[in-house]
Amino acid sequence: MLRLLRTTSFRFTLIYVLIFTVSVSVLGAAVYRATFGAAERQTDITIDNEIAVLSELFTASGPGTLTRVIRQRTAWRDDSIYMLIGAPSGAVLAGNLTALPPEALLAEGSFFDFQFERPILDARGQEIGIETRGARGKVMRFRPSPDAEQSYLVVVARDIGAREFLRDRLANVILRVLGTTIAMGLVIGLVFSRSLLRRVETVNKATRAIRAGDLSKRIPQTGTGDELDDLSDNLNSMLDQIERLLAGMREVSDNIAHDLRSPLTRIQNRLTDSINADPETKDRVLRATLEDSERMLGTFNALLSIARIESGEGTGGMAPTDIVAIAEEMAELYEPAAQDAGFELTLITAPTPPINGSRELISQAIANFLDNALKYAVGGTKIEIKVEPSDKGGAVLQICDDGPGVESKNRERIMQRFVRLEESRTTQGSGLGLSLVAAIARAHNAELVFDDNQISAANAKAANRGLRITMVFPPVSDEPYRRNLKKPKQKTGVPA
Amino acid sequence: MRILLVEDDAEAAAYAAKGLREAGHVVEHALDGETGSNMASSGDYDAYVIDRMLPKMDGLTLLSRQREDGDETPALFLSALGEVDDRVSGLKAGGDDYLVKPYALQELLARVEAMGRRRAAPASVNTRFQVADLELDVITRTVRRASKKIDLQPREFRLLEYLMRHAGQVVTRTMLLENVWEYHFDPQTNVIDVHISRLRSKIDKGFEKPLLKTVRGAGYTISDED
Repeated sequence: MLRLLRTTSFRFTLIYVLIFTVSVSVLGAAVYRATFGAAERQTDITIDNEIAVLSELFTASGPGTLTRVIRQRTAWRDDSIYMLIGAPSGAVLAGNLTALPPEALLAEGSFFDFQFERPILDARGQEIGIETRGARGKVMRFRPSPDAEQSYLVVVARDIGAREFLRDRLANVILRVLGTTIAMGLVIGLVFSRSLLRRVETVNKATRAIRAGDLSKRIPQTGTGDELDDLSDNLNSMLDQIERLLAGMREVSDNIAHDLRSPLTRIQNRLTDSINADPETKDRVLRATLEDSERMLGTFNALLSIARIESGEGTGGMAPTDIVAIAEEMAELYEPAAQDAGFELTLITAPTPPINGSRELISQAIANFLDNALKYAVGGTKIEIKVEPSDKGGAVLQICDDGPGVESKNRERIMQRFVRLEESRTTQGSGLGLSLVAAIARAHNAELVFDDNQISAANAKAANRGLRITMVFPPVSDEPYRRNLKKPKQKTGVPA
Repeated sequence: MRILLVEDDAEAAAYAAKGLREAGHVVEHALDGETGSNMASSGDYDAYVIDRMLPKMDGLTLLSRQREDGDETPALFLSALGEVDDRVSGLKAGGDDYLVKPYALQELLARVEAMGRRRAAPASVNTRFQVADLELDVITRTVRRASKKIDLQPREFRLLEYLMRHAGQVVTRTMLLENVWEYHFDPQTNVIDVHISRLRSKIDKGFEKPLLKTVRGAGYTISDED
């Protein structure tokens, strides 16, 4: 509960409640003054006027006439209350008050409020009880002449019971509205704070679990798409990225253990064995060791490159890049080697918009594809590099050959680290070339697809299905605004 | 050349120093960045070979300070960090070349010598190069051997130009890929060798003395010495 009161939303609610309370109070006061303030003033003016009239009457016609007029007026039975008392005798000469209210004695010449009793009459004019009502009046002393001993005390008042009743009712209503406002504000505030707190608490719970080591934990979303969902979404994407990076790191260390420990052990064994061997054996062992260490360095560098590309470093910065120019240069670079290996290397390009990418990485990817084609497309004669615009305004890069190809069941696996298919066991390689390409594709949000090359699929009776590698790069404008930077698609399979 | 080698790994330093000395250079060695910086400021060297990660002062800082003080001595960074970004930051700090560890001694030698040569004769001055009876004119873009004109593809021309700018020096495959094609990856296949053999068939075939020679385990060189 204490936590609830400390939440930001509850503090906001308190401020709102305060503002509403003040507004309701001001509004209430205004309504109150507008209705009853005016009525009160009106009452006072009426009483003053009446006194002025009576005073004139007294001056002009004397006490007898005054008594008569007051008697007449009391007979009207309206809200008016009169009393005329002779002084110093104290005789009540006229009026409808049974007794002079005690307040009147102290308030000569000014207004005063008092209570009086009034008979309750039924429909036939029968008295059935007495009620106490509020009234407001003024008491004045009339003297026939300034130094006359004889004087008359005149009380003129108005029954304000009905008005007082209404006023109490209104005050009551205003107070209730005020109370309700505060109570509702607090309750709503608490409810809001609680629901907000609960949602923040789910985020906290998830992050605590993640901190405790469960990196697969994600922050649940309500699906309303509100700002908290947005926040959760962003946090989740961040967690995805962190998890991917950590997985990458773990994979690298696993891989290092896997692929570097065994050759290291081999080297160690070999060296231990040959310490006492004859010079010729030593020479042979040294050469073998040198070769091993060179291979290990290659593997190590490739692993580091993959890890750094996947972490988003080591890309050399993404910039609008002319992929056609890269393809042209790579074709030119590889053409002699391809020809030497008995391949005809063709480049087919169409005007293609620049893509957001790294020249270094894309050239590295093409080099890996071409190295692979030269190594594994045994029996093939053609290698094709194609660059054309994609439907979505990006670029499509294709490397095709008419070698043995890759069976569909192996297409996913060849991108994993250290995977070398049975067919390629005899040739040298680290098994990291395509993993590096896959990492490069991910860094570019590019789609990477392996399938049969359609050139040779046309004459299917040939044993060589061929391999077609397609990389689809997204358009430049797309890149910075991609909201879902989740895992870029990696598909394998034959498109329809 | 007088070379300052700043490298904290004593064994690696000894290996590099030995190789450079055998090639006829004078090598002085510093084990940390501060000592290296002091030596660079007080000594007169023809080239620096600086490891990027050093105790007391890292290699980038060392070289940037020298450059700020107006020291134009060519410098090569040695580093275990080999990604594009690292290379770029090394070149930004004023490095002339960047070599990723582990490196072949030949590669280091070739690069240090290329660097020193560049300083001795700034590239822009020379537009004509000659090795024995092979001539190359950068402005007219012509190549002649024994006064006979040889037709080369643009890339072959650039390849030969680079080799001739470094005539008598060993040029490695990586140096060729970096300088002629401006790519930094490590090709698995013999792409460069094939280009060289094509070039060789144009400039050496039919002549008595081959000029473009393969240096085993290192790269290529163009020279009229045997």
